[in-house]
Amino acid sequence: MNPELILIQIALAAYWGATILSFIYLAYKDERLNRWMLNLLGLGIVFHLASFGFRIHSFWQISENRYFLPINTFFGALSYLALAVCVAFFVIESRHHLGILGAFVLPWASLSLGIAVLIASPEISGLVPALQSYWINIHPVVLMTSYAAFGNAFGVGLALLVQEYQIKSRKPTPLCYRLPSIEELDSLNYRIIAAAFPILTVGIIMGGVWAENAWGRFWGWDPKETWALITALVYAGYLHMRYMMGLRGKKAVYVSMFGFACVVFTFVGVNFLSGLHGYLSKG
Amino acid sequence: MQIVVAGLSHKSAELALREKFALLSFSDIAQKIKSSPITDAVFLSTCNRFEIYASGFAGGVDGPEVLLSFFEDLIGKTSSREDIYLYSGLEAVSHLLKVASGLDSLVVGETEILGQVKEAYERAKSEGLTGKIGNILFQRALYVGKKVRSETGISVGQTSVASVAVELAQSIFGNLSESSILVLGAGQMAELMIRHLVTKKSPKILISNRTRERAEALARNFRAVVWPWENRQEALEEVDIVLSSTGSPELVITKEMVESSLKNRRGRSLFMVDIAMPRDIEEEIHHLEHVYLYRLEDLEHIVAKNLEGRSAEISKAKEIIESKTAEISQWFKALKEGRELSFKHSDRPKAPRTAAG
Repeated sequence: MNPELILIQIALAAYWGATILSFIYLAYKDERLNRWMLNLLGLGIVFHLASFGFRIHSFWQISENRYFLPINTFFGALSYLALAVCVAFFVIESRHHLGILGAFVLPWASLSLGIAVLIASPEISGLVPALQSYWINIHPVVLMTSYAAFGNAFGVGLALLVQEYQIKSRKPTPLCYRLPSIEELDSLNYRIIAAAFPILTVGIIMGGVWAENAWGRFWGWDPKETWALITALVYAGYLHMRYMMGLRGKKAVYVSMFGFACVVFTFVGVNFLSGLHGYLSKG
Repeated sequence: MQIVVAGLSHKSAELALREKFALLSFSDIAQKIKSSPITDAVFLSTCNRFEIYASGFAGGVDGPEVLLSFFEDLIGKTSSREDIYLYSGLEAVSHLLKVASGLDSLVVGETEILGQVKEAYERAKSEGLTGKIGNILFQRALYVGKKVRSETGISVGQTSVASVAVELAQSIFGNLSESSILVLGAGQMAELMIRHLVTKKSPKILISNRTRERAEALARNFRAVVWPWENRQEALEEVDIVLSSTGSPELVITKEMVESSLKNRRGRSLFMVDIAMPRDIEEEIHHLEHVYLYRLEDLEHIVAKNLEGRSAEISKAKEIIESKTAEISQWFKALKEGRELSFKHSDRPKAPRTAAG
């Protein structure tokens, strides 16, 4: 069997293991669970990277693919996205001791890689000429990095809703004292989005430049382009309302979650509408 | 090798008797231990308990009897032996682990006792009272005390109204060192609450009271600022936390006041605690966005819940203590056979090594 696939299945198992541990950790205060969760996650990331290395190696066996990243297929894209979410979580958690947020973030990464492994085809083929551009190493990577950050922000927002509900109910469970405070979650949600938004914007503009080179037009109202714009506008709206109008807490989270729904639709749903950007139609 | 603990606690003795022991000075007791047949001892003295852990005696004496007469010696023959409990051998070990884990405390799982055990041990050690067995036992007890608290929920949730309020405030604002608090009323409850908050290094406390003099008196104790009673509405725009415990028969903070202050708060949370009877703060306020109003009965309800939750974790804690007692028992056995096991702080006792000599 292909070593790439064996490695990625191990990574997937490790991610799911970490996700399950993070849920148990929500219910039981036992610091060992948190340590094991992080160890498993780290292990998953290592195997995932190794698998990605093998994928690059086989991808470059085809001469026209040489030195481009294998993220042109649905499989490659989902896999990269899962990796980015995990790495982002790993970095944020180790800095802020937010292991408790694992249950809110890791399911999305595990799900993403799960869909890649179970449903998407890992087949490798030659890139079509339109994609044989250095832009393929930049434009989708930049965008998916912002998606991964938005995924983390979504998890943080979810935790905020839980925490807010607990305190408003006047019957907080022990979880209330272990989750970060409302104000911290609110500010973390904001800071992640504030950091990811420029990345998203730059990624979209890069896409325009590439489109200009490849197709001779900067913008063509292709569904992917349209939805990327809608996503950017929703997050811009969030930042504006937060910064100018003091929108915070629950309502701010609702807006940011709407933004994330747009991200998911842009990434997955649009494939069924767009020919140009479709992973499923293979561009 | 004899290990014996003798002591009295809130479970066995009246306060009056416990107080007599609590008043004894450290150096007196240390002196008396030195001139007794006890060669390895740590004594623990808190307001809820007085215990002597003896793990070594000079030449063939009866450990329990030595300790009991030592107790009588300390405060005279007035204490009845029924107030004093005695454990020896592994029971004594297990008792020490329970004490360090907070299982024997008045409030189950409280964390203060672990610090007290640590201090008692360190002082005894620096006085030269402890020996090899005592050192191992206490280091082990401190380790188990920490382990039990990190691996079970026995210390989760505060157990007093004031500390629950502070913990909730932390669940809303995080670190309270940047927060500001408006205290309405200058009575006993207000003072208690401020005391709890001050330990969280809250820099800004405003005290407002109908009679200014009492607010000033309270403010002096805590380096707080006195805020004019009539202007309390303006303070609502600034502060994060409001604690109200006035004796006022009518509402002190109305929904209208809070609503108008919210406009200038830019979505920052406002945590209000009303422990006054009759109420100071209008109930409806809780339904405003970003505002959380807790009343005395809400806090009391949480205290009861937390205590319940801690009790539910007792059996888990006991399991850890049992397995750690068994480990110590193995260690004793090995010691008798001339080997020495090493625990360190890992979960797996390391392979036995032969002790030199």
